[in-house]
Amino acid sequence: MNNSKTLSSSPRERLTVLADSFKDVLKMGQKYVDLVDQLAQTEDPQEMLSATSQLVKLDLQNAFVDFPQHYQAADYYLIFMGRLLEKHGIDAVQVSENVRHEFIARIEPIADSDSFKFMVNGDEAAFTEQGEQEPLFYLDLKNRLMQFDNRALVNYFIVRALTSHSDLDLRNAVKPLIAFANELQTDLDFTINLGILNTENGRSFNLVQPDLDLTVIDQLFVATAENDYMLMNLPKNNGAQLVLDQGIKLDIAFDPDDYSQQWFFAVNDPTAQVSFFDTLLHYHLIRKWYLDNRSALAVRSDKMVLAPDEEESDEYVEPTEVFTPQVGTLEEDGDQHDE
Amino acid sequence: MIDEKHENKAVDISSLIERQIAAKIKYLQELNEAVDAHHDREVYQLLDNQRYAKEIEHREQQPNNQGVMSLVNDLADQLSNYLSVKLIKYLGKTYPFFYYEEYQTGHYRIYFGNWWDRRQFGELDVLNVRFSFDQTEYAKLQKSFELAKDNKRYNSDRIEKISSENDRLQGLIDHQREREEERQSVESQLEEINARSGLFESNKNKETRQELVDQLQKLEDEEQEARTASKTIHENEQVVLSLSKENTILSYEQKSIIDTFGSFEDFELANRNLYADYLASLEGGNSEEGKVSADEQ
Repeated sequence: MNNSKTLSSSPRERLTVLADSFKDVLKMGQKYVDLVDQLAQTEDPQEMLSATSQLVKLDLQNAFVDFPQHYQAADYYLIFMGRLLEKHGIDAVQVSENVRHEFIARIEPIADSDSFKFMVNGDEAAFTEQGEQEPLFYLDLKNRLMQFDNRALVNYFIVRALTSHSDLDLRNAVKPLIAFANELQTDLDFTINLGILNTENGRSFNLVQPDLDLTVIDQLFVATAENDYMLMNLPKNNGAQLVLDQGIKLDIAFDPDDYSQQWFFAVNDPTAQVSFFDTLLHYHLIRKWYLDNRSALAVRSDKMVLAPDEEESDEYVEPTEVFTPQVGTLEEDGDQHDE
Repeated sequence: MIDEKHENKAVDISSLIERQIAAKIKYLQELNEAVDAHHDREVYQLLDNQRYAKEIEHREQQPNNQGVMSLVNDLADQLSNYLSVKLIKYLGKTYPFFYYEEYQTGHYRIYFGNWWDRRQFGELDVLNVRFSFDQTEYAKLQKSFELAKDNKRYNSDRIEKISSENDRLQGLIDHQREREEERQSVESQLEEINARSGLFESNKNKETRQELVDQLQKLEDEEQEARTASKTIHENEQVVLSLSKENTILSYEQKSIIDTFGSFEDFELANRNLYADYLASLEGGNSEEGKVSADEQ
């Protein structure tokens, strides 16, 4: 396509160059069709991932053949998610195409109110709620990373969705997202970070603020007087423990042997089935206290960030403007990576 | 010793000494054996025979032999430490909300509860099997049980008073604009009046002017207070928080007592009977371990 070069060539050479260019483009078109086919047909998660990874990078723009850009990168991420869940028999996430040929996801049992789409930014795609643009989790196919955003989880589920849905419905809505993360881990060896959705005992979530004014804990203590839960002192005076139902305990504590006194939340329960997120969702006492004191109590998102790969950065294709992530709208009050 | 009458001094003084020494040796031997076998009930009997006879055997008028008992006076702290092991284990079951800190050998501070904020509640008198409650703290608890009958809490009145003061201060802050408008209007009225006042000012004019000056002063006072109001509100909120905290501590304490004893009266009754109940639980010395584990089941 270099004009100065083609001008100096003979007609025969020029035709050959043109034919070669067409061949390349058609080859690319064939590859595109094959990848779409693969993503649609395969039952092998590795092949789903491989097809998706290539499709999201494929640029069909060229001077010779006008391929209609039917779907965008964001759509392939969503189709990939839908296909992987489908393979595992999870049908709570419904992926469908709207009139603008965009794929959107709806999640049972909150399908009637909210929809989700991926927002692509470089190698990372954020599964984003469309109303308030909350990026619930980030997916990085190239580096095989999947991580939830604690801040967005609180903003979307605890602050907003809870006004129109029951805690039980929202817990059910979160389940397929956790299932997707677990499938990525088991089928495709992804590194996953469930954040505050993690139910394992012993998981702790550090607060953003380096210090905690103890009067904030006093407020929780005072609030417990109105109900049956008790706030206990931890044995080494390193924080407090809220004793909830069925042996569930929420700690707001620091490691007594750590001079930095980094405060954290941790939930322990006999069956390791309750997350910090669940306690926020279920207990009005905790939710109100947490949201009233959110600037003091917000937990960190601890998002893994990989150093950009210099060599491949040139191949990166800027997504069309429809998919430019609207980072600005995410920063409602401060650093978006901090919950 | 003084009570005993001995007419024949020459013979009896040495036999008296022998008898007394024998009694002391016997006492020390019995105590030694009881301690050795960890027969705490017997130890308690030896340490206060009078009380033991009265409260356990229901025999009145059994005087203590101070002459032998005083032998171990200087071991009080060690004996207290020794006897505390079983006693605190027993109290752990019967008074599950009390916690103890041995701040020096044989001396125990009582803490009420292990919750976020708790009170030091007095001391445990191990040798006498008795709580020695801090009277100020105890009175608060007693008072809050009384108030609970009227659905009130210990600091409710004070909290209410401070809260309404905060509402008033917030009102001052919220009405700053109205106050400013009023001030301007009063000032311009005052200017008008001042223009009309001369050497021969009417009384009515004087009165009105004084009223306006007073009004202006009141507005300025309010403005002055409004300037520091948000700081005062914040300070008051901290006071309310600490008062609420005390309310919460008291409500935890009440809840614990009700959960364990049913009522404050039953709690007090248990305190009065603690010595008898505890020693009874020790079952004469040998089988107390069996008793404790039976309780656990």
